[in-house]
Amino acid sequence: MATPSRKDSHGAGVYLPEANNALSPEETALEQVCQPEKIKCLQGSRLDQGSGKSHVPSALEEELVSASQLEEEELDPDLAPDVEEEEAEEEENDLGDPAVQSAVHNSQTLDHLAPLPFRPSLPSAGSAAHHFGPQLPAPDPSLLCSPPTSWPLRLSLPSHLTQLHPQHQRILKQQQQQGRPRSPPAKKWPQQPDSYANLMTQKEKDWVVRVQMVQLQSENPRLDDYYYQEYYQKLEKKQADEELLGQRSRFESLKLVTPYIQKAEAYESVVRIEGSLGQVAVSTCFTPRRAIDAVPHGTQEQETAAASSQRLWVLYRIEKMFLQLLEIEDGQQDAPAQPRDSEQRSSRVEKLFQALKAQGQNNLEAADDGFLQALSVGKGKALVARLLPILPRDRAVSLLLAITRHLPFLVKRDVADQALQMLFQPLSKCIRHLTFHELLQGLQGLIRLPPGSSERPITMVLQNQFGISLLYALLSHGEQLVSLNSSLKEPSSDHSAWTDMVVLTAWEIAQMPTASLAEPLAFPSNLLPLFCHHVDKQLVQKLEARMEYVTVEIRS
Amino acid sequence: MNYMPGTASLIEDIDKKHLVLLRDGRTLIGFLRSIDQFANLVLHQTVERIHVGKKYGDIPRGIFVVRGENVVLLGEIDLEKESDTPLQQVSIEEILEEQRVEQQTKLEAEKLKVQALKDRGLSIPRADTLEEY
Repeated sequence: MATPSRKDSHGAGVYLPEANNALSPEETALEQVCQPEKIKCLQGSRLDQGSGKSHVPSALEEELVSASQLEEEELDPDLAPDVEEEEAEEEENDLGDPAVQSAVHNSQTLDHLAPLPFRPSLPSAGSAAHHFGPQLPAPDPSLLCSPPTSWPLRLSLPSHLTQLHPQHQRILKQQQQQGRPRSPPAKKWPQQPDSYANLMTQKEKDWVVRVQMVQLQSENPRLDDYYYQEYYQKLEKKQADEELLGQRSRFESLKLVTPYIQKAEAYESVVRIEGSLGQVAVSTCFTPRRAIDAVPHGTQEQETAAASSQRLWVLYRIEKMFLQLLEIEDGQQDAPAQPRDSEQRSSRVEKLFQALKAQGQNNLEAADDGFLQALSVGKGKALVARLLPILPRDRAVSLLLAITRHLPFLVKRDVADQALQMLFQPLSKCIRHLTFHELLQGLQGLIRLPPGSSERPITMVLQNQFGISLLYALLSHGEQLVSLNSSLKEPSSDHSAWTDMVVLTAWEIAQMPTASLAEPLAFPSNLLPLFCHHVDKQLVQKLEARMEYVTVEIRS
Repeated sequence: MNYMPGTASLIEDIDKKHLVLLRDGRTLIGFLRSIDQFANLVLHQTVERIHVGKKYGDIPRGIFVVRGENVVLLGEIDLEKESDTPLQQVSIEEILEEQRVEQQTKLEAEKLKVQALKDRGLSIPRADTLEEY
């Protein structure tokens, strides 16, 4: 197929961004060299095309003159080779001896060339033309393009170029001279009119685009096309910021807008015809053939409450709750402000909370069981950790109390996962909102001796990292409340309960060998003073020993 | 891009010269005339270019209709830079011969490798006996 020659491209792409730039003396010699080269190329190409029009605009001539005045010598060796290259098609590799000879020859002719900065377009005009005559032999261009090797003294090309291999230099210079005129707007007219163009009509193109758009449409673009939506938001934000700063005038960057097409009404995936055996094969483009009814519907039979199905049920519940949670979180991200939405949101949150507390399969189980079962799974813990910040205070508190009530159980169940840690952050935030009474309730659960066991739950709690952190957080909050609120200091049942608890806790900690004390995730600073207030010195010393060991561990 | 901002589309590439690499390793060069939603391509004045080392040969093929799933990649060819290549164009016969030789050496090397592995009791599943992914 026709490959447009380089000459053509030069002729067609008459674009000289550089020609209009003022040549400053600071510009590198190479720059100055290149511009006239480019201009020469154009002229050369015109020559070849035989168009006698002298298209050299006056501006160009001025440029050439000024260029030549600045650096006369540099112009000359490059005058010839580029024109030669245009004319002598693809001869690039020869650096043979004949080239050296012609180089020598050329150096002698250079002086003649000096006063003539440019070569006129008409072949007949100008004495410069015939100077190129003797230089026609092919090897010349290759050597002439790399003058530094032959004439180090005459030329002052930048040193970084002179160190290069001559072929490399030549390629670089070619690129420089050819690169710029080609840069945008390179939407030049086609070399020869393409007779096969537009075989694909505009209608057909639009059709393809439409089909592609249909494939893109979605009801929830934030979900389906998350990255593009985020990107576009960031872009818009950046533009708005820039506009605000006055840095650039507002221009809208386009957004992909998919057409809204009515979604086909929900199809019946499973068709049951009375009297037929099994399912009828109804195929659509979404389900070619639905063979198995894999979604559980109907009630679970009571007999199948085996351990595995129980666990499956818990997992299933957790998944459903997670979907609800994600919906709530998405809603939170998108539309923070409207009151109607916030009502809807809080009702969703409440629904989720109820689902969390809901019973398992048998309604005979204890009240907190549903919640505890969910917490036994790692994902359930993650769910609760994410849910706690968005729950209203009293709901969060009830969850917290449930956790403290059953802490030993949870700790035991967590040995494999060690995932309770993720609950610590949201729980400690919740603890800060506890009232004194609620706090006492929470602590009592830990202190009380459960029926039928001689060990207090607190012993086990102290050995677990999460447990001990939670305990410390509770105690610290209690101490804060007490110190801030003087009314609590008055003797009352609450206060005595509090004191008892503190003493007991201190005693338990002191009892525990230091090695088995777990390292808390956070050590509140007001604990030791708290203990100091309530227990005797000896005990305090023991406590200090243990706690400081722990705090040193944390700090290190 | 003016049709669908934020997406990539072949609409703007129509009537331009492209280089298309197919899944079977062939390289086609032709003017892209028509597309559809599966990126099936219609190439006009197509040339199959075979590269062996520093040489290449063009086999003119006419019109190609390529099923979209067989395209690895395609890119527009800059008509100006097209001839600016260090590669050397040779005749079709020569390039086919070169290709044959290259295939042969590759096959022999492969055979040796397989034999060596077999001697050690190992086997590597060959790409051509395996599904592509």
